[in-house]
Amino acid sequence: MLDLLATPPNPTGASAPFWDACDRGELLFPRCGRCGHLFYYPRRHCPLCGDTGLGWQRMSGRGTVFSHSHVHVAFQGAAWDGQLPYTVVLVDLAEGPRMLSRLIGGDAAAVTSGDAVSVVFPRIGERRYPFFERAAAG
Amino acid sequence: MPAVGSDVVIAGIGETPVGRLPGWSPVEIQAAAVLAALRDAGFALSDLDGLINLDPYATPNSMFSSTLAEHLGVAPRFACTVDVGGTVTGMTMLQQAVWAIESGYCDVAACVYGENALTGRPAGAQGLHMHNLLGGEEWEEPFGLHGMVIPYALLAQRYLDLYGATDADLAAVALVTRRHALLNDNAQMRKPMTLEDYRASRLISSPLRLLDCSLVSDGGGALVLTRAGRAPQGRGRGVAIRAIGMKTTHNSVALMPDIPDLGMAAAGADAYEAAGMGPEDIQIANLHDAFTISVLVSLEALGFARPGEGGALVRSGAMDLGGRWPLNPHGGLLSQAHIGGMLHITEAVRQLRGEAGRRQVEGARRALVSGNGGIFSVCGAMILEKP
Repeated sequence: MLDLLATPPNPTGASAPFWDACDRGELLFPRCGRCGHLFYYPRRHCPLCGDTGLGWQRMSGRGTVFSHSHVHVAFQGAAWDGQLPYTVVLVDLAEGPRMLSRLIGGDAAAVTSGDAVSVVFPRIGERRYPFFERAAAG
Repeated sequence: MPAVGSDVVIAGIGETPVGRLPGWSPVEIQAAAVLAALRDAGFALSDLDGLINLDPYATPNSMFSSTLAEHLGVAPRFACTVDVGGTVTGMTMLQQAVWAIESGYCDVAACVYGENALTGRPAGAQGLHMHNLLGGEEWEEPFGLHGMVIPYALLAQRYLDLYGATDADLAAVALVTRRHALLNDNAQMRKPMTLEDYRASRLISSPLRLLDCSLVSDGGGALVLTRAGRAPQGRGRGVAIRAIGMKTTHNSVALMPDIPDLGMAAAGADAYEAAGMGPEDIQIANLHDAFTISVLVSLEALGFARPGEGGALVRSGAMDLGGRWPLNPHGGLLSQAHIGGMLHITEAVRQLRGEAGRRQVEGARRALVSGNGGIFSVCGAMILEKP
């Protein structure tokens, strides 16, 4: 594979702390200060109770694969031809919430649902991205 | 309340040719479909006083109902553009038309969608070239997710894992819709398909292959609604909308409920309850088939098959013409054309009138039409009945 590509996000004031934390190698999810709901993706209010008093929780970065797909078409344009095939995953984080990400590493093609994965933060251009790798066996 | 208790009926249907319509613009396609539906119902253009449409996905427009009204040459008392999502939009258009007629805003309403998504897309585009944003870009594009195939591939992989289903289950859906399309002169795909053809088609986003994916199409479809008996040629031909159930649960695939909890089950339960019916009362299943997996999930959510047994039901022949619940006799989004599900509705009306020719479902009294937008983000189930 050529160097990794990623389309940069366009964060809002509410989501910028998530991306800034990724740049530091940390995975932060918002948690409601009123009801304790931990959720993804960042918003300005808690989608469970509506409260706006939110904080950030550092995630372990460990999770399991809920579903995955090996992508064989460059939907984001011909610049992505060198990425093919790449693997998109839905990861259930150990703490609960599910997030969409990309699985990288030489053994990504062998992934099966339920596999243990852990977050990594490769630098691509100006940012670091919360991608995942299959966890070492054992 | 999902029940439709009034005497408002679908009095006319209109379809343009589908496939490639070079030289046609979206508004021209929509106008042609509306004119065809008005003719079918026996109305003059000047009778039209309600107009509801969806603007094109490939070239999004604002104020597209007024664009179409002006182009047609009408000045409706009620007009709006509806974008609920995918193939549910057609049902929401019908809801709007029923409510507008019931409340006295108009007497004759047209619901229409159409565009030149195939010939109007840029060179080199992969699949449907949507210019619309869906709101989840920040949490999808950085991870390589773009468009609708990858989310449906994630859903399909989950289905295979959850139930131990195989590619033969997905293929069965592609094969039956192709068999039906061969009986439709207005279908894009006119060659027979075998299981070997299916398995030889290239992977797009595993486990989905090219032949798991619906078509990119030019074309349009329209419906004209009015009160029963109001249409000059519609007397005794109007098709009743018995119930429409809907449910919206999420937008992006990361927040999609697991398969047993997708909104289609709630939409179907509402529609069945309102109509006082169940799957046993249905003779035609015009189900959302943007991807083969959509049909398996919908069959199970709507009670046609038990969880995990949708593929077995399709392979049994139950969804073929002559079977218990023929699936998309027109060929559906997979093999006729993807016109936003409008042709699922026009086909249901045609079948219930007994005017479907060599693909007529004998004894058809009721059709269930399902739709979903996004990744089962918004789901709809509608029951249509012969008068």
